[in-house]
Formats: sequence, C-alpha cells, structure tokens
Amino acid sequence: MRDALMLLAAQAANVAGLAWLALAMPVHWEQVCGRSACHPRAARLLRAAGAGALAVSLLLCMAVDHPSMASLVWVMSLAAAALAVAFTLAWRPHWLRVLVPAR
Amino acid sequence: MFQNLRLTMAWLHTWFGLVLGFVLMVVFFFGALSVFDREIDRWAIPETRFEPQPMPSFDKVLRPVFESMQPDPGQIELARSRVDGPMATHFPVAKTWGAYTTHRDPVLGVFAGFELPNAKDPDDIIWGTRTIDPRTGKTLPDDQLKIGSQFFYPLHYSLNINWRDLGTWIVGFAALVMLVALVSGVIVHRKLFRELFTFRPGKNTQRSVLDLHNLTGVVALPFHFVFAFSGLLIFGGTYFPIGHTQLKPLHDLHEVLESQETGLPHERAGVPGRLASVDAMMAEAQRRWQARGMAGEVGFLTVRHVGDANAYVSIYRAGTDRIALTGEGIHFNAATGEVIREDPPPTVAQHINTFLTGLHLQHFRHWTLRWLYLMGGLLGCVCIATGFLFFVEKRKRQHAAQGLRGARWVDGFAVSAVTGMLVAALAMLVANRLLPADLPGRGDWEQYAFWAAWALALAHGLWRTAPVAQARIAPAWAEQCLAVAVLAVAAVLLNWVTTGDHLGRTLAAGYWPVAGVDLFLLGAAAMAFLAARALRRRSGVPSASAAANAPSRSEAARA
Repeated sequence: MRDALMLLAAQAANVAGLAWLALAMPVHWEQVCGRSACHPRAARLLRAAGAGALAVSLLLCMAVDHPSMASLVWVMSLAAAALAVAFTLAWRPHWLRVLVPAR
Repeated sequence: MFQNLRLTMAWLHTWFGLVLGFVLMVVFFFGALSVFDREIDRWAIPETRFEPQPMPSFDKVLRPVFESMQPDPGQIELARSRVDGPMATHFPVAKTWGAYTTHRDPVLGVFAGFELPNAKDPDDIIWGTRTIDPRTGKTLPDDQLKIGSQFFYPLHYSLNINWRDLGTWIVGFAALVMLVALVSGVIVHRKLFRELFTFRPGKNTQRSVLDLHNLTGVVALPFHFVFAFSGLLIFGGTYFPIGHTQLKPLHDLHEVLESQETGLPHERAGVPGRLASVDAMMAEAQRRWQARGMAGEVGFLTVRHVGDANAYVSIYRAGTDRIALTGEGIHFNAATGEVIREDPPPTVAQHINTFLTGLHLQHFRHWTLRWLYLMGGLLGCVCIATGFLFFVEKRKRQHAAQGLRGARWVDGFAVSAVTGMLVAALAMLVANRLLPADLPGRGDWEQYAFWAAWALALAHGLWRTAPVAQARIAPAWAEQCLAVAVLAVAAVLLNWVTTGDHLGRTLAAGYWPVAGVDLFLLGAAAMAFLAARALRRRSGVPSASAAANAPSRSEAARA
C-alpha cells in the first residue's frame, strides 16, 4: 500500500514537472493562461520547478524498488506523464492553471 | 539523389516505415498483449483459473511426471526426415528434463529432450512437453492452446511462420528498420523538444494525425528504441548463427573446454547413475541465495544426462525482484547432491546483456511497470497507425485528382493491419469460448478462426476503402471499429455464460487475471464504439472542406 502511494506520488510529480516545463514555453503558457508569454524570470522558475519535480519523482521511484527497476519505472512514467500533459493541453488547458500560483 | 539530409531521411522514413509498418504493427500489438500473456491464458483455459504456485516438490510430483514422458506425437512426425531408416517407437534415453515457472503461473510447463535413435545428426534431440497442475501432478489436456503464451507471444517475434525461422528474420529486419525509422524520424521532426507536448486535434486531419504520430513516437522514444534493440539482441544467436556455421569447430571445442573448466560434464559417461533428492538440492540452492542476500524462489530447474553417472542438476532463481535476467544458477551432482559449481557473478558485458534481455522479457514482479509497458506497446501501435493515416491523408486528394489508386490501397491495408488485427484477435477469443470443449484439435480451430477473421477483415478493408480514391474517409474504419466493439463485448458475455465468471464474481474474489482481461475488453469496446461514432459523424464530409473550416474546439473535443 505504501509502495503504491509512493508510485502514485512519483507519477503525480512527473505530471507536475512536465507541465511546468511545458508552461515555460510561450505557446503552452498562452494556452493555459490566455496571456502571451510570461516573464523570462518566471519561465526560468518554471523550468527549475519542473526539473526539481522530475528529480523528486526519480527519488520516490528509487525508494520503492531496486535501482534498475526504479529507473525503468521512472522513464515509463515520464512517457505516461508527457501524454497526460499533451492531452490536457489539447482538450482542457485551463486545468493546468492550478500549477500556476496566482499573483 | 535528394537536396539535403532531411529529405533523404524523410524518404527513408516514409517508405521503409510504410512497408515494414505492417509487420511492426503486429509486433507491437501482440508484444503489448504478451505483457499479460499468462493472464490471457487463464481467460482462455478456465480449468487453470487458480492462484500462481511455486515450483512443486521434484521428488514427489515432478519425477513421476518426467519418468512417464515421451516425445510429442507432432514432434515425432516432424523428426521423420531427420532419421535414417524407420522411426523408433520408444525413446528410452532422456538427455534433459526441465521445468519452468514464474510468479504468474498457476500451471507448470515441463519438458523432456530425448535422444533420437538412428538420427542423422548424433546430437539431435526430440522434445516432449506437458502442462501439469503443480498441486497434484495431474496432466492437463495438451490440445488446449494457451492463447497468450503460445499464440500471441510467439506471433510478436516470429509471426508464427516457423519455416526456416522466416518469421523471426522478417521481424528482425522490421526491428532494424524500426531503429532506422526512429533515428530518421527524429531528424525529420526537428522540433523534438519544442513540440514535445503539441497535439492539435482541432486542426485538419493531416496536421492532427501528424501531431499524434510525433507525440506517441517521441514520448515513448526510449521505450521504442530499447525494445527494438533488445529484441534484436535476444535473437542475436538466430541472426548471427556463427556458432553453428563458420565457427562450428571453435564453438564445439569451446563447449568441451568450458565443461572442463566448470566441472559440468559435457557428455554422458555411458554408465547408469542414480538421482538423489532434488528437493534437498532446491533447499540448498535457496539457502545459498539467502546467504548472498538475495533470497528467492526456484524459477527454472534442469537435469542433464538423465539416468547417467554424469548427470547433474541445475537450479536457477526466479528473478522477480530485479530487471536483469540472471538466475544465479547452482549446479549439483545428481547422484550425490553435492554442489559442483555456482555461476560466477556476471561480467560487465553480461550485466548489460542480462539487463537488456531482462527488461524485454519481464520476469519481474511489478504490476505498475507491466501496465506502463502495455501503454508503451500501444503507443507504438498508435504511432504506426497514425503514420499510415498521415501517408494516406497527405496523398489522397492528389491521387484522387490524378486518378491514382495508391492512397486507396495503402488505406485498405492500413485498415486490415489496425482494426483488422483487433478483429482477428477478438474473433479468436470468441471462438475459444464458443467451440465445444471436447472438439479434437480445438487449438487449431482457434487459430483458423484468427486467420480467417483477419482474411475477412482484409477483404472488407480493401473493398470498403473505395471512397478514398475520391479523397473521402473510408467507411471500412467505422465498420471495423463497430465490429471490434461488438466482438469485445461478445467475448466478455461468452466468458460469463460459459464459465459463470462474470465481473461481479471475479472482482469480488480479486481474481485479477480474468477480471483484468474482461475490463480491458470492455474498455476497448467503449473506445472502438466512440471511434466508430466519431468516424460516422465525419464521413461524408470531404476532408478538403473539413480542412477549410476546421471544426471548433468543442467539436474536436467530442471527436
């Protein structure tokens, strides 16, 4: 049960991480927030948060499984997350607004 | 020939991808199903719907089974051309016995290899196989086809064309082309990262199909590449058979030297020998694994030179807790039960090899990863299918204007390779539930149902894609999607009617092998139904005008 929750958290971290990386791109930022291009500093921040979340996800995978297995789980989970982000951007982009702190 | 590298790569990607794409579709789809081959076996053979079992007692259960085994009648038929003179009726000398199980197997597959009397090649072996219930040792009828592990699984690496390994060679070539297609695809695509999350369902069909092709290709790129590569690696011995051709003398000498080094006899002594308790050897092997900090179950055991003074027993560990396919083999003297040798830790090259083959063959116990693998395989299918669609979309208006039929034929074959393949697989499951249980050669009939359904889908696909020649959507797609939905629901209902195992019961009992297959079938039916409806709504509208006034976002969302 604990392992399943950790893997779920890893998957969530991957989705959030890739979504932040996507939001750092002007096209996707516009899709989600409706305004053209965020501040370059905000984009840098988004990229850092994205990379951080992916790293956290890898650590969570490592905590559950043998490192060889964890690396595979992480890579495959990244693919699933990328797909989820792309489909959300295509059909329900406003859902990703929860990942952008209100200012 | 071309102005630049990118155009060259585009040509390569288009044409090799198109031709071998049909093979790759089969490889990816049935490879994806093979992730759950044991579960499909449970669905197809209701007598085997019980919990997975560990390796049973050798002395009490397996030994009497092995001692009563003889080569399979089918194998004897096949071996007739390999002997001088008449075929033996009795095969007294067993060269090897083996039993193999995984953490997902309720039933146990055992095999025995016998010396072939009067064989042209003195090293020739003739095989007998059996499936037993490890709880009792009872033999299960062997004309029940394990649809998952004996049909879908070999289909994905050999297309079930066994003549001179032709199918394996075709698949190998397709895997090589897959690697080429991935590299050339990345070069053609260029915007690998910039368009990583780009999918525009609202744009014209050609654009959104290409988006989906790129998306499914790129997000699972590591998966696609590593699986094509490791698949080639697994069959390296088939593709580079130097050990049995140019380098045969060296190979044979190596075997002899290796056996001197390892102490495992290469030949029979010709003197009868006895077999001590193999259960004690299994216990000793497990004790030694535990001492090394890798406690585990027995996954595979063999006895070599059975009944001879040189006999030895090899016991391998089931690799449920790691990717690498190693086994940590421990070898025992069959007569005394003494350890002859423990396999040394793998070298760096072996580490890489066992990791790559292990990640492809998936002996590990990790259900999340299994589902993610299924997703990877199906993403490959979507990538190939959208490749076909893009090919057709890009050309069909031009072909229609010029009176060419190329796009129409490609669309016909694409329908057959994508939805036709689903129809065939589902028809097989339906046949499995409809054919009488005591029908002789039942497994053969199931295979005929598979191929017949596919042939029918091909004929239908070629017939009902005629409108593509007028640059319209072929009705074949929607019709076959509907067939998929109907067959999938029928399979679930037939499973209920013939076995009583409806979802309410399997879910309540937590029997996931059957519940999972049923749920997957219902999910597939729902998606196929929605796809059929969306296609119906769009058909009739010539895509040229559809492109001109691209559908609104909400419409696209519903489609």
